[in-house]
Amino acid sequence: MAETSMTRAEKRQLRRLKRFDNPWMNPKLIWGVGLLLGIIALGLIGRVLWDPELVFTGSAPLKLPPIGFENIRGQSGVLDHPLGTDGGGRDMLALIIIGAPNTLFVGLLASLIGMSIGIFLGFSAGFLGGRTDDTIRVLADVMITIPPLLILVVFQSAFGDVTLTLMALLIAGFVWQSPTRLIRAQVLSMKQSGYVQMAQLSGASTSHIMFNEMLPNLVPYLFGSFIANVTTSIVTAVGLEVLGLGPQRIPTLGRTIYEAINAGALIQNLWWWWGIPTLLLATMFIGLLLINLGLDEVSNPRLRKLS
Amino acid sequence: MTEETLDKPVLTLRDISIEFPTPKGVVQAVKNLDLTIQKGRRVGFIGESGSGKTTTALAVMQMLAEPGRVASGSIDLAGMDVLALSEEEMRKTRLSRIAYIPQGAMNSLNPVMRVEPQMWDAIIAHEGNMDRTALKQRSDAALASVGLPAHTGELFPHELSGGMKQRVCIALGIILNPDLIIADEPTSALDVVTQRQVMQTLKDIQEQIGSGLILIGHDMGLMAQSVDELAVLKDGELVEHGTVKQIIEAPKHPYTQDLISSVPLVGGDSFLNPDRNADAPKRDSQEPLLRFENVRKDYGAVTALHPMSFALQGDTPQIISIVGQSGSGKSTMGSIMLGFNPPSQGRVLYEGQDVQKMSAAQSLEFRKNVQAVFQDPYACFNPFYRVNHALKFPFKQFGLAQSEAHTQQAMEEACAAVGLDPDLVLSRYPHQLSGGQRQRLIVARALMLSPKLLIADEPVSMVDASLRATILSNIYDLKDKYGISILYITHDLATAYHVSDYVMVLYKGHVVEAGPPKEVIGQPQHPYTQLLIDSIPWPDLERSWGDGRGEHDVEKLQAQVERASAVYRGDVAGFDLARV
Repeated sequence: MAETSMTRAEKRQLRRLKRFDNPWMNPKLIWGVGLLLGIIALGLIGRVLWDPELVFTGSAPLKLPPIGFENIRGQSGVLDHPLGTDGGGRDMLALIIIGAPNTLFVGLLASLIGMSIGIFLGFSAGFLGGRTDDTIRVLADVMITIPPLLILVVFQSAFGDVTLTLMALLIAGFVWQSPTRLIRAQVLSMKQSGYVQMAQLSGASTSHIMFNEMLPNLVPYLFGSFIANVTTSIVTAVGLEVLGLGPQRIPTLGRTIYEAINAGALIQNLWWWWGIPTLLLATMFIGLLLINLGLDEVSNPRLRKLS
Repeated sequence: MTEETLDKPVLTLRDISIEFPTPKGVVQAVKNLDLTIQKGRRVGFIGESGSGKTTTALAVMQMLAEPGRVASGSIDLAGMDVLALSEEEMRKTRLSRIAYIPQGAMNSLNPVMRVEPQMWDAIIAHEGNMDRTALKQRSDAALASVGLPAHTGELFPHELSGGMKQRVCIALGIILNPDLIIADEPTSALDVVTQRQVMQTLKDIQEQIGSGLILIGHDMGLMAQSVDELAVLKDGELVEHGTVKQIIEAPKHPYTQDLISSVPLVGGDSFLNPDRNADAPKRDSQEPLLRFENVRKDYGAVTALHPMSFALQGDTPQIISIVGQSGSGKSTMGSIMLGFNPPSQGRVLYEGQDVQKMSAAQSLEFRKNVQAVFQDPYACFNPFYRVNHALKFPFKQFGLAQSEAHTQQAMEEACAAVGLDPDLVLSRYPHQLSGGQRQRLIVARALMLSPKLLIADEPVSMVDASLRATILSNIYDLKDKYGISILYITHDLATAYHVSDYVMVLYKGHVVEAGPPKEVIGQPQHPYTQLLIDSIPWPDLERSWGDGRGEHDVEKLQAQVERASAVYRGDVAGFDLARV
């Protein structure tokens, strides 16, 4: 009876409210995760269904457009190379199948290492205090003011050709500061909280207090910080690659853009060469942003709007 | 008064229901409330947290938090239908016709603005721009009416004390002569001495401008001393409404009876039954259980605790109360005893062993035997775990658990001992339990560990009034049935009177009066103790609260308190306080 007496607006509101029963059923989060999984799936399924050997120079005619388009020379796209080919005759589809997961991998690895350093330093600074805290805090503050690209350009030119892992390691050296500061601040405030005092009264060891009492409550912050760091790391990696640094022989989205610019793709109107990698990067960032917004709403119920 | 009551009522609430849609259905915060407030009358809204008293007040100002809404009924403010007003009309009505004095005056003033301009903003927002001298005149008059000197207006909020800030908030509230003042627990953050001054100010100013007053609170004593009529709310329903006299002398609803009887009085009947007396746990050491040797604590230039020495023998269980206002050093003492806070000078000895210089094994033994109950039951549980984590973990950590089943059994027994149903509470998350349930679980935790000494730091100050007596008797049982010595730290003299064997009154880190409670609290001799006891609002209409001013020249009083030397009244066996 109550159901029938409700207006349509009220029913809609109730439905919206019900959706909040399970905070993880957050549309932003689902879309974000979906986009990223799509890129990973492209890499995995693509390797099975498409020939990854096509990423090598000269495996196909040069500068072919995607299907349904014509290039300047009047050639139209062919089914063998549905997304066209680049100036070296490499197949674009194969390039993004190999390149997109590589770019994502660098971002995830760098962020993972950065977070681990951040958790360790943040906990040490917040929990031990004193001289340790001063040292870590000053170090983090100084590192935050240094533009990472500047240093990395120097490093990478010195290393010459690097592997993806080495590049991730170098980037990780610049993404640990903000998690360190975030965790330090949280630990400092948590140290005064009733449940940590209770744990001390219970004779808990320092490691128990850190990992069993404090860390679980930090998980939402860590997740958010991790995703933000993945974005930063990818931006940094792509930035370096577009400058022509980073791995020379392994296809990545950034390197493809670098080669396109270098070969004058912009002037020759070879839009698919630089456009497709850019589009994929944009998709990646939108996915990460949506995950971050979604996680924010999951961990902070006040952000879950009712309308 | 009689000709005023003939006037139109200031506020008429007719059949008001307020609901909050939530994922689990619509919550009815207030149900069919009918109430009329006459001009010049003071009406108290009393009830527990969640009873709908603040929600009702906020509805009158159309300031309900989203997604709350007034589902039915009408609100009539001196002939104006509040619910029909547009947002802009409502904005003009707020402050000029209804003023709201919030709970936390500390957070209600803009910290980067001086006091005066904040008052001017209020005037300009309602009456348009005007001459600066006129503004100045108005704000000075408002400050003077709450007993603050005019130069207060040129200060920043952080330069004022808590009581002064609350009075500035009152001045801000009455500056436009509203028809109705709503004061939401205006004194809950203040100590009893300041509370009396602030309440007196509020009553005076309300009489002067002849407005209606809604006083929201949970303290029956404060209500009895401050209002004309009482409205008792429970779970969103108005269960009883009448004059204070009717309600205090002949409460009809059982909940009202509970509220009145739960206020402990100095003297009068005890809410405890001190028949049994368990022996203290056997001790191997001849040394006193806890000894303070000239302990002193400084925070920078401020001395929180002046050198103090005492020894608690601990052979017979005792409750020692440490009483004082905020800033008296009593909580500092608590954290020094627990070893959380090293003393600046002197030593704290537990069975002859310095608490700050213990080996890992000794430290574990000390932790097992010295437990604590803290003030805030909301913070004491890790929100990540179910509440049984807080009980299970120390039990295992101290090697008391023989098996999983044994732990479970011990937890269930401890819960039952504090009057909780173990099946209902143990597997819940902290946020699913009320403050009272959580605090009782913390007491159950202490009980499971059977320590020799329990430090209870304001254990009931954040719990609803009707539960305080229950929790205190739970704590008292620890001494009575299980032979645990207790250090009870509190600002509440009435409870200290009932539970303790020995009372120490602290003022600015000094002991000012100490001895058995019947003497110290029953017949206080030190001016500070006398002042504290006078300032308690009694739920007794015969007993006047005093007008709270003439005698309240703070500086004179301060000088008097500081001149007087400490008074020591009689000793009890097993506790030696060094006399300074």
